[in-house]
Amino acid sequence: MTMQAGHGDDNELHGHHGLPYLAHHFETPVQQFDAAKLGMWLFLGQELLFFSGLFVAYLVFRLWYPDAWSVCSHELDWKMGTVNTLVLLFSSLTAVLAVRSAQLGKKAEVSLYLLLTIACAFGFLIIKYFEYAHKFEAGLLPGSYFAPVAGHTISSVFPPGSAAYFSIYFMATGVHGLHVIIGIGVIFWIWLRNQKGEFSAEFFTPVDLVALYWHLVDLIWIYLFPFLYLID
Amino acid sequence: MSSAHDSHAHDSHANDGLVHVHVHPASTYIKIFVALVFLTLVTVGLSRVHLGNWNFFIAVVVATIKASLVAAFFMHLKDDNKFNVLIFVGSLIFMGVFFVYTMNDTQHRGQWDESYGTKVYAPTGEAAPGRGQYEAIKLEGGHGHGGEHGADHGAPSEAHH
Repeated sequence: MTMQAGHGDDNELHGHHGLPYLAHHFETPVQQFDAAKLGMWLFLGQELLFFSGLFVAYLVFRLWYPDAWSVCSHELDWKMGTVNTLVLLFSSLTAVLAVRSAQLGKKAEVSLYLLLTIACAFGFLIIKYFEYAHKFEAGLLPGSYFAPVAGHTISSVFPPGSAAYFSIYFMATGVHGLHVIIGIGVIFWIWLRNQKGEFSAEFFTPVDLVALYWHLVDLIWIYLFPFLYLID
Repeated sequence: MSSAHDSHAHDSHANDGLVHVHVHPASTYIKIFVALVFLTLVTVGLSRVHLGNWNFFIAVVVATIKASLVAAFFMHLKDDNKFNVLIFVGSLIFMGVFFVYTMNDTQHRGQWDESYGTKVYAPTGEAAPGRGQYEAIKLEGGHGHGGEHGADHGAPSEAHH
């Protein structure tokens, strides 16, 4: 398909050399684009497998300690979780709109949508901070640090396995939050490059790739939210 | 994305080596976003209805519908190179292997029962696998680690003492 596009078509090829965004080891812009997307998808596939360890641990312990999972889930604030879910979904919308604007070569719009995405990411982290602060105050901490403080928790009895719930809660949301922080950094970097005018309707790959990363962060949260916050 | 154009053999752009993508109208993405918000509210609403084990099942199904919308539209997999879809789906299949093999172990372990001197399934009290050398270690050495899931930590070689 696209790989063959460059071969046997020398006239076309000469036109591509000298394109500022085309690396010398690629024949054509479309080959470069496909290679970049392939690399990004391999990275995202790795991310899924990386997170799958946490999801497997979650399921093993949930099936072993269903009572603990139910009690501990009610200690989380489902309203904050819902708001955070909506914030992340909205940030995915702004991220994909940034890509769309980039495809159309609308530089100012790309910058605006990227900044909106970053703002949502900060909003997510701020809400998460308030949630974490409450958990620390209530002693709802992972593993051996689990020491619920009377009066700060909803339940007065924590079944065996509760410490494991909060280990998984902090590990999963913590690793996810780390991805959000890294996301802020890379989206800001892409915003800077966009401001410098590096992208156009012909070359918008980095905007596309950073949005793919951001959607994956959203994708993970789509599962974490009901798994952690909404247990009956 | 380029593969979407490969299907148009007569497309004049098809062989110029430049990147051509189908730009979706913004309204498409806004509709997907509205659907995602709706499904989020559905998840929250259904979690407050007591359906026993079905709650978890429904949560997984709704989350998967949401994830599919994000992957297909926001991540452009719908009109992307099919090889990228293969990588994504391939990762999911290996995740499935990870889940199934692990559950096949952890869901079929017994717990050490002191009074019967054997392993039992906690929910039913039936005898569970994990007999043999493990009991021997426990009796001889006397270091009965009766840890809930850790009764079988002893290395088999210890049985030859």
